Amino acid sequence: MNIFTSPIKIQVEVFAILLIVSFIFFLLVMINRALKKTDVYAKPKGLVLIALIYYKFMLQLTTDNMGKKAAKIYAPYIATVALFMVISNLSGLIGLAQPTANLSVTLSLALITWILIQSTKFRTQGYKAYFHGFIEPIPPFIIPNFFGTIAPLISMSMRLFGNITSGGTIMTLIYVFTQWLSSWVPVIGGFNFIGVVFAPILHFYFDVFSGFIQTYIFIMLTTIFVGNELPQE
Amino acid sequence: MDISVGAGLIAVGAGIAVLTGLMTGIGQGNAAGKAVEAVGRNPEAENKIRAMLILGDAIAETCAIYGMLIAFLLIFVFPGIVK
Repeated sequence: MNIFTSPIKIQVEVFAILLIVSFIFFLLVMINRALKKTDVYAKPKGLVLIALIYYKFMLQLTTDNMGKKAAKIYAPYIATVALFMVISNLSGLIGLAQPTANLSVTLSLALITWILIQSTKFRTQGYKAYFHGFIEPIPPFIIPNFFGTIAPLISMSMRLFGNITSGGTIMTLIYVFTQWLSSWVPVIGGFNFIGVVFAPILHFYFDVFSGFIQTYIFIMLTTIFVGNELPQE
Repeated sequence: MDISVGAGLIAVGAGIAVLTGLMTGIGQGNAAGKAVEAVGRNPEAENKIRAMLILGDAIAETCAIYGMLIAFLLIFVFPGIVK
């Protein structure tokens, strides 16, 4: 009785998550070693240059939406989530089962964002004002306020899940259709030679482009929602 | 292929539920057009305009997402409950 036939089912995406996390770990170890060897006053190139561009981009994005003081606290988390999400959205091209095509993974990520929003609201306004805000301006408003609080959680998880899953489904349908089309050619019909011509462009839109845009939308929404609750300065 | 009438009606219902994405496409395309126009009028404020465009898109997209949610519930969860 191994883990695939045991009563406790382990989902396939767990192995993909372990692989992606160990890949990120080795990437960061290599960047650390390259950083120790560089000259501080020379122009950076190679892996160090990519790391510096990424760091500057994340710091700029969080400072634009949250202000300088809070950006120092939240920027490391945003950069880590973005790195994990980009690699797992693109991992469908390598043949892994994408972790973000599983509702459990996206719900966990959206739950962290939701807890961040609510705890920032608690810290800024206090406990009494938070619960009193549900019945403002008049008591029947408790229903729209309740749904307005739940809405970011549901919409962020379902948006990421729907985009990545539907990308994979559409590519599967296209491969099946081109297989049926090319089976009408007499001699070389066994091999799907129409699909390998049309599939790369569609992969570029549905997997690569959609993966990057969904990551950008996720981190922008997180920083904007949390930045709305912080005290104005 | 023999599928019962009930299962066929569930599929038709799921197809109708996804029609909520129709107006989302029109609305978000409109918003993108106005954003491009605003950048053309004031090229310095590009970062702020991009942030506002993405936030507005994400909130307006909840219509299409809730339609997709109903379609998923109908296809995957509803047959298990009814039987």
